[in-house]
Order: sequence, then C-alpha cells, then structure tokens
Amino acid sequence: MTEAGSQLSDSTGRRTNTGAGRVLVAIYGIFALAATARASVQLITRYEEAPLAYLLSAVAGLIYIVATITLARGTRTSRRVALVAIIIELVGVVTVGTLSIVDPAAFPRATVWSVYGIGYGFVPLLLPILGLAWLWRTRPSAP
Amino acid sequence: MIDALAYGVIALAGIAVIWGVVTAIANKPPGKAQLLYAAGLEAVTVVQSIIAVAKIVGGFRPVELATTIGYLIGIMILLPIAWFWANVERNRFSGIILAVAAFAVLAMTLRLIMLWTPAG
Repeated sequence: MTEAGSQLSDSTGRRTNTGAGRVLVAIYGIFALAATARASVQLITRYEEAPLAYLLSAVAGLIYIVATITLARGTRTSRRVALVAIIIELVGVVTVGTLSIVDPAAFPRATVWSVYGIGYGFVPLLLPILGLAWLWRTRPSAP
Repeated sequence: MIDALAYGVIALAGIAVIWGVVTAIANKPPGKAQLLYAAGLEAVTVVQSIIAVAKIVGGFRPVELATTIGYLIGIMILLPIAWFWANVERNRFSGIILAVAAFAVLAMTLRLIMLWTPAG
C-alpha cells in the first residue's frame, strides 16, 4: 500500500497499529509509564495515607499498559482486549474524576484520574474517547 | 539539577515538538537532521539526569526524593523508545510521535524544576 493510498483505506478496517494509531500507542505508552511509576512510588512510600487512591492509580497504570500493548499489536483478539480496557478506562476516569470533586477527602489530588486528569491537561479524559474512536474507525466490518 | 541546563532542555524539547508538527503538516517523515536533533536532545537530557543524580548522591535531598528519582530515570527512556517507534513505520505520524515524546520531556523537566527544592 502506498502512502497516497492509505487515506482511502482508512475506513476499510485496518490494524490499530498503523498511521495515526501509532501516535495513540505512543501517548498510551507515556501514560502507562507515568501512571505505573507514580503508583509504585505512592504504594511504596506512603500506602497508608490514601490506600484507595493509590490502588486506583495502580489499576489505572495497569489499564494503560494493557491498552498500549493491545493497540500496538493490532490483531483481532488484541483489539477486543483493547476495547474492554479502554471502556474500563473511560468509566474509571469519569467515576474517579467525579468522586474526586464530590468527595475530595477520599481522593487526594495524587492520582492520574483525579478531577478528570487535570494534572495531565485532561489528556486522561480525552485518551479513552480517542481510543474508542480509533477502534471504531479501524473496525474490521467497516464498509 | 542545574537551572540553566534544565531551561536549555525545555527550549530544545520545544523546538523538537514544533519540528515534529511541522514535518507532519508537510506530510513528510522526519528527516536525518531531525532524527539527529532528537538524539542530541536525548544526550542533553541524559547529561541533566546524570548531574541531578550525582547531586542527590552528593547529599542533596529534594522534598519528593522517590518521585524525583523516578522522573530522572523515566525522562531518559522516552526519546529512545519514541525514536524506535517512529522509525518502524515512517510517515507524517513519525514526526508527531517524536513531538509527543519531546513534549513529555519538556513537561517532565518543568516538573523536575518544581520538585527540586530541598527537604526542610
């Protein structure tokens, strides 16, 4: 497939790991690293301060890792796993984001998803939406 | 951390971000000069991390020691991975990938400057 032809084939069911999908994988990779590293530091150095928030940080990191790997693989099976992971991610960021505003005491500012990811320029809220859009755009059944 | 060096990293990374976006808009994969520039940025970033770690070993204690060390290590692996990932499939998106990584280096350096205050 030539570069010029890739524009046309965008809608005909492609692997998730080509074209713009590679940028998505790169962003997911950075968040996998950021969330996992942050959670590790928090769990190791001050677990008792806010166990719920820090465990959620770790879960977020795990979801980012799964999404990064499955989107980067781009097989039929991996896109299904990616879909599940990204839906959990969206539910997570919306739930934690909302709870962190309603009940700030339960969620000290120190998680990736607090206030919809305000500490990361709201990218954590945008990312699952972009992920779902990309999975939809590259769906195998597309005409 | 040396302030001048940190701001230098931020400026260099900012240029890398713009460069990546420009080649993407021009619908071109990153050229040789651009890839060499990214390697140069990585080199300066590594030097910064080495100096900062040396200062920590030498007795400096930032408020958030573990977080600071995590940033100093993490910031070094972004560009090499992005470089590899951008070169597997070379097209306009390769430039965006380099730009994303360079932006992360920029943001992490800003955060490092904030973290770099001595524990009381």
